[in-house]
Amino acid sequence: MIIATLGLSSSCSEDFLDEKLTTGYNPGYLKTEEGIQALSVGTYYQVFALDMNREVPLTANESGTDEFHVGGDPSNGLWNSYASGFGSFVTVSNSNTVAANTNWDNLYIGIGNANQLIESATAIVSTNDAIKKIALGEGYFMRAYNYLKLVRQYGGVPLNLKTSNVVQLEFTRASVEDVLKQIIADFTQAYSLLSNTGGPNKITKDAAAHYLAKAYLTRASEINDAWNSATKSADLQQVVTLSDEVISRHALAPNYVNLWDFKAADGANEKLSELILSADFNSNQLTTGGNQQHLYFLSTYDQLPQMIRNTAGGRPFSRLAPTYFTYDIYDKVNDSRFWKSFQTKSIVNNRASGSIYVNGDLGIMYIMNSPSDTRFAKTRNDGTIVYAKTGKVIPSVFVAYAADNFGLMKDVRFPSLSKYMDGSRLDFNATKGSRDVILARSAETYLMAAEAKIRLAKLGTGSYSDALSYINTVRNRGAYKAGEDRAAYTDGSAAWTTAVQGGRASSFIAENSYYESNNITTPITTATNLTIASISALPAADLAVITKLGYSSDYDRMLCLVLNERTRELCGEFHRWEDLSRTKTLIARAKAYNPDASPNIKDFHNIRPIPQTFLDGIYTNGRPLTAAEKQAMQNPNY
Amino acid sequence: MKHSFLKYLVFFSIMLTTMTALAQTNTITGIIKDNTGMPIPGANVLIKNTTNGVQTDFDGKFAIKAKPEDVLVVSFIGMKTTEIKVNNQKSINVKLEEEGAKLEEVVVVGYGTRKKKDLTGSIVSVGAKEIESRPVQNAVQAMQGKAAGVDIGSNERPGTVGNINIRGSRSIAAFNSPLYVVDGIPLNSRASTDSDGKVSQVGGSIDFINPSDIESIDVLKDASATAIYGSRGANGVIIVTTKKGKNGKFTINYDTAVTTEKIHEFAPLMNAGEYIELRRWARYYSNPAAFAPGNAPTIANDRTIFLDTADPAAWANIEKGWATGTWDGSKVSTTDWTKFVTQTGVTQQHTLSVSGGSEKMKAYGSFGYLENTGTLKGQGFKRYNGAVNIDITPTKWFSMGANLNTSYAVNEYGLSNAGRSAVASSDGIYVTARQNLPYAVPLDANGQRIQNPGGDSTIRNVYEEYKYSQDQRVTLRAFGSFYGQLDFGGFSSKLDGLKYRVNFGPDITSYRNGAFLNGLSSARSGTSFALLAKNQTISYTLDNLILYNKTIGKHDFGVTLLQSKTQYSNEENSMQAENIKNVENKWNALTKENVTLNGYSSNITETGLFSYMGRLTYGYDDKYLLTASLRYDSASQLAKINRRDQFTSASLAWRIDKEDFLQNISWLNALKLRAGYGVTGNAAVPAYETQPPLGQVLYSTSAGVLTNLKLPNSELGWEKTTQYNYGVDFGVFNNRISGSLEYYTSKTKDLLLLRSIPTVTGFDKTLANIGKTEGNGVELTLNTINVKTTDFEWSSSLSASWQKSRIVELQNGKQDDILNNRFIGYSPGIIYGFESNGIWRPEDAEEMAKFNAAAGSTIFVFGNARPVDQNGDYKIDANNDRVVLGSTEPKFITGLTNTFNYKNIELSIFIYGRMGYLYDVGGENLSGKTSQRQVDYYTDINTDAEYQRPFYSAGTGDIYNPTLGYKNGSFLKIRNISLGYNFEQDLVEKLGLSRLRIYLQAANPGMIFSKVKWVDLDTRTTYSNRGFTLGLNVQF
Repeated sequence: MIIATLGLSSSCSEDFLDEKLTTGYNPGYLKTEEGIQALSVGTYYQVFALDMNREVPLTANESGTDEFHVGGDPSNGLWNSYASGFGSFVTVSNSNTVAANTNWDNLYIGIGNANQLIESATAIVSTNDAIKKIALGEGYFMRAYNYLKLVRQYGGVPLNLKTSNVVQLEFTRASVEDVLKQIIADFTQAYSLLSNTGGPNKITKDAAAHYLAKAYLTRASEINDAWNSATKSADLQQVVTLSDEVISRHALAPNYVNLWDFKAADGANEKLSELILSADFNSNQLTTGGNQQHLYFLSTYDQLPQMIRNTAGGRPFSRLAPTYFTYDIYDKVNDSRFWKSFQTKSIVNNRASGSIYVNGDLGIMYIMNSPSDTRFAKTRNDGTIVYAKTGKVIPSVFVAYAADNFGLMKDVRFPSLSKYMDGSRLDFNATKGSRDVILARSAETYLMAAEAKIRLAKLGTGSYSDALSYINTVRNRGAYKAGEDRAAYTDGSAAWTTAVQGGRASSFIAENSYYESNNITTPITTATNLTIASISALPAADLAVITKLGYSSDYDRMLCLVLNERTRELCGEFHRWEDLSRTKTLIARAKAYNPDASPNIKDFHNIRPIPQTFLDGIYTNGRPLTAAEKQAMQNPNY
Repeated sequence: MKHSFLKYLVFFSIMLTTMTALAQTNTITGIIKDNTGMPIPGANVLIKNTTNGVQTDFDGKFAIKAKPEDVLVVSFIGMKTTEIKVNNQKSINVKLEEEGAKLEEVVVVGYGTRKKKDLTGSIVSVGAKEIESRPVQNAVQAMQGKAAGVDIGSNERPGTVGNINIRGSRSIAAFNSPLYVVDGIPLNSRASTDSDGKVSQVGGSIDFINPSDIESIDVLKDASATAIYGSRGANGVIIVTTKKGKNGKFTINYDTAVTTEKIHEFAPLMNAGEYIELRRWARYYSNPAAFAPGNAPTIANDRTIFLDTADPAAWANIEKGWATGTWDGSKVSTTDWTKFVTQTGVTQQHTLSVSGGSEKMKAYGSFGYLENTGTLKGQGFKRYNGAVNIDITPTKWFSMGANLNTSYAVNEYGLSNAGRSAVASSDGIYVTARQNLPYAVPLDANGQRIQNPGGDSTIRNVYEEYKYSQDQRVTLRAFGSFYGQLDFGGFSSKLDGLKYRVNFGPDITSYRNGAFLNGLSSARSGTSFALLAKNQTISYTLDNLILYNKTIGKHDFGVTLLQSKTQYSNEENSMQAENIKNVENKWNALTKENVTLNGYSSNITETGLFSYMGRLTYGYDDKYLLTASLRYDSASQLAKINRRDQFTSASLAWRIDKEDFLQNISWLNALKLRAGYGVTGNAAVPAYETQPPLGQVLYSTSAGVLTNLKLPNSELGWEKTTQYNYGVDFGVFNNRISGSLEYYTSKTKDLLLLRSIPTVTGFDKTLANIGKTEGNGVELTLNTINVKTTDFEWSSSLSASWQKSRIVELQNGKQDDILNNRFIGYSPGIIYGFESNGIWRPEDAEEMAKFNAAAGSTIFVFGNARPVDQNGDYKIDANNDRVVLGSTEPKFITGLTNTFNYKNIELSIFIYGRMGYLYDVGGENLSGKTSQRQVDYYTDINTDAEYQRPFYSAGTGDIYNPTLGYKNGSFLKIRNISLGYNFEQDLVEKLGLSRLRIYLQAANPGMIFSKVKWVDLDTRTTYSNRGFTLGLNVQF
């Protein structure tokens, strides 16, 4: 019976072989309005959020500059040192090493999705503004955003503006000029299609204006001086016009610390008017990826006596430590920004039994003094310096300038850049962070306008002092307000609300070493003024840099000022390498301030090597490139 | 075993057509026995030159009427035919000698069986006796080294199966695992792609079968044999036949074995003193300004180097070396961290089986139990097997059978990788233990477990780790094979040989993975983690077969027609959470009250296969044999337009030994020439590849989609391999020497190739039918009886293969594809990179200076690894200095078993080796951050070293150190030695038993030679299990 049934039930129809994918979307979804909007969301992720999950932002834009050097863990040390393992391959140190092609690949995959978004939104028969204007505008923006990164990192790159249906292998590099032309065209499209709603987590008209200004400024910068004379003046005028427009709608936050006062995901500091565009993260553990930037700028506080790793203190990957350029470029008495960007104190959270300490006593202090300070014999002071408030000696004190001249760059302890600290993580080793990452804010727009004014002055339009009003607005926001407590400190660690997690107390203290560092004993509550009154009265810290780098012309001095101001305002916000490369100041500044890079960096390091994987994968005339052809397509000297 | 199976088969076929013997003058009686003294039922006793004959009964007895002048011809398949003159004897007992060698065996060929002598394709067999001879946990292990051209790796983890590869690898992207067929039903599997795009097979293996339940394993190697399985035959076919009930007396068998194993380490680590010196040198070379050289230590330096305050307990140990004020490394005690995670593994196996039957019904049943406590604490494996098999033949024209194999396995996997935080090693607890620092200690002065011994936050304490982590995998599998058969010969003799058969094979697997990591686990950092994943697979195969066999004179015909349908469905779901409040809950209470899930998913994969097949066999006079087949397969995972394809095969054999002109050559017992041709396919790509779904992300609060990273290919078709096989089977000198020699060539085209493409396209990979590979090989199977006396026999069995494969064409013709590491003319597995020229030594100063001058900066110092500058421009660059360094595929694979029998004692030694390939052992970091195996490293006072100078780093240290890790991977290993004893039959019978055997085995006793001394090149780890087994086979 059974057999007979089985025999008969075996039909000859092959219909059961037709595949039905029921667990995912097939590409037909992109022909619907819903699908196009979902693709826009996906492309946001790819373009803005994916990189924040790993070390691409810091290797592309902070390592190997005047601001940072390797902080103890050299997993990505080659991106800082430019040593012989840095080239079309970056020699892999460990699984965290960012390959030569990682950034390149991520950017082009993002462009592929943006191309698809533009094509789908163009193709669909719809009059829905959400598709025809917003999604399309977002598509143009994100394509240009990635090409701008590509051209600033690699120079001329292949331009691919269509989605591929077949395997394409023949690519050549477009000129920098053509790539920038395309970027400007795309940002212009986005600018005209988008409106100003939804920022900073949605791409707005102002975001398009900000980046369009950035593209113009890039075209008008030194790295393109060989061919940009025809467009330079108009481009710079555009930078000023666009910047003014953006600034008018994005007032600076009243206090610099407002930007970093992270208490919880999607809190007030992530909605400030100053913010133009941010990569969006939140506390949902189920989101794809996560912000891991909180890992990389931290010093290994947890290996010091009386200390243990904890959620507020963070998980110190110790990739990047500030250089003395960064320490010294701030006026540490009058400029609050240093004290709001770096953590200088931590409290004991793992008292050793039998010791004099209780959890909560001051455990680590960094004295960020000036070179003229002669108070200290040693850089590292273990249990010898007394904390005035408790009368106990502090287990670990590190001094920036001490008679032993050892300094903070030879060992692995340094004040940690605290802009990404995230005490809202699940536990002390959790890597998934929930803070937004600021991609653009109007303080940068001010400084772009200032730079454009300086460049225009050089071309004979206006004067160098035209830049000062922009710069001073930014500087004075960073000055101390009347009545402000200069020892007060906060960062994202404060988002940690649980008293004890995983059995571990917090090492966070809402206090900095302002008074100890500046050797001021009586608290001051007066306001400070950081105004630069004239181009002939630049701040002492800037003059020191100008002298060290040997600048004398007004233009060089003013450009130097802007670049220094960018550090003071934007330190660690992933702009630095491209700013230095663009202005062709990278080599001089890295040589002067980055001891790891100094022996290796050469002129050709102004642009990155084209990844070997690209050169190995492409064809010409139906065949792969020869070694000579690859070498010819590679940037010089790599 | 095989012979007795044959005896019964022949016995019954003859019984059915039995004829009554004609009356004769005298009745002669007797017993026919084999050379072991066992009676032979169903042997033929014939009076010469007549048709008068009888068969022996169950006890080997016969009675025949014969005249004194008659000659009795006693024959039985597989035995030498013997003639005896009757004379005046009333009683004639005959002992038949085996016809020697293995040429008379029955071999399963797919949808049927053939006598080995009639085979036209390349097939090797492993029988139950060989499987029993050494205890194995799974049937794959049993085949190790038994079959030429079949390379089976070792896997040390309890409950898992080694990798298996038949005749090398042809496919590059699709997987190369063979197809398993159990009792006629092909096992279904699913292709799965990992994050690197590597395709692997999920399911479809035979690890669930109790090896004691296996009657035989037949490996179909060449395409003329495997083409019968069409699209799934490209990587060879392994056919497993489980034990069936046998006609006659019911027997009870009990097999048991106990194994003890310990981890043997090939790469000893530096002791505390040695390691401390290494780290000092490493710190010195990375920062000579701040640290003293390794041979001039200072205590102040040591405090910084060894993180005195981060782990006071470890520092206290180091301080012992400074007790006198002068450094004495021998005063520092060394912690052996591996002892905290290892134990003596004990395995016990028990199988109880019952077998027997009558003419109308035969049955076999068994129950098996295996329990293993791993050599690593926290690992273990338990498996319960139940098998039952019934064949019923109620009438002449109908028979049916049911075969059910069930297993329930609990695998304790030890430290879970799911939920692992980035600081812990992904290579498991043993490797994590080895990374711990020799001078650090597990517990502090108060007896508390130190989280990061030595104070380095990337090194985790493994002390009592087994208490804090569990990864339990439970598999319940039920596999059935049912058939019904109509024998039309039962209706009418005109239809003799015509049969219709239905096979139905359901296969159901339920899998559950539960993992729990306590917050104290070395893989975690304070919060706990739980995972629950379930997976259910249901598949079936339904075959309709028409079989026809006919003999007309000297012509033998056979026809097989098949229609087959297969459906496969896999459903999976999982959920995971952190911060499990009550550790007792483990993964069992992931409820909304207890946890917030941080991941969950469900998924379904469905595939189908639909086939037609026809096969013709023809034989003339037992001399000329022909097999031809044609199969059509349609697979769901290929593009609709390309999913159907045809696979043909043809093979010929010529039994030269049957030719008249060879009849007088007495030393030649068997000689057969074979030639075959076949086309097989491979569609081992994951489902839905022709239209990969959009990627999905959850960004902020919205669900988003992304184009798939793989460029869709809507024309994906079959990867096809055409193979030619030439073989000769021989037996000479009374079959003292027998074996076969084969040569094959294979060409694969339309390779299913996953290739990286320039990301400028917006995609990073695509799967396509492009390119060609070629392979060829020689395989030799040789069985020799070297010495044979009454009590002693020494026999050898050698399987050796030589193989070579190369890429002929890639996506754009004969163009290398550097991006994907594929080179024309080279095998698909190669190492491409910088060649090693040792390390830079002071005597190379002049040459080294030229490199530094060309670079304009110091790129090399003494003690650095030295790559070869291929084009001599004094620059090391990727475009000009990378070369193909060698193939990672072994050229030679060999297995040799020597067996010595003395009376009832049997000693067997099994040797296995792979030779002629390059293996990437990995360079030595020498970064002095985690523990270090003992190596000869460069320092200012040891310039003639093997490895580069140490350089303290969290990463690689010297950038060219990997060049020092490419080594010749050749080895020859004794995989096991076993000693068996068969108790004397008299004693056994006194005990009320019919057979009793005891054996002792040593597993992995040692290497005969190994090109890399500190790695077990067989398991490719620095350690492997060594142990002893004591076993017993009892038959009642």
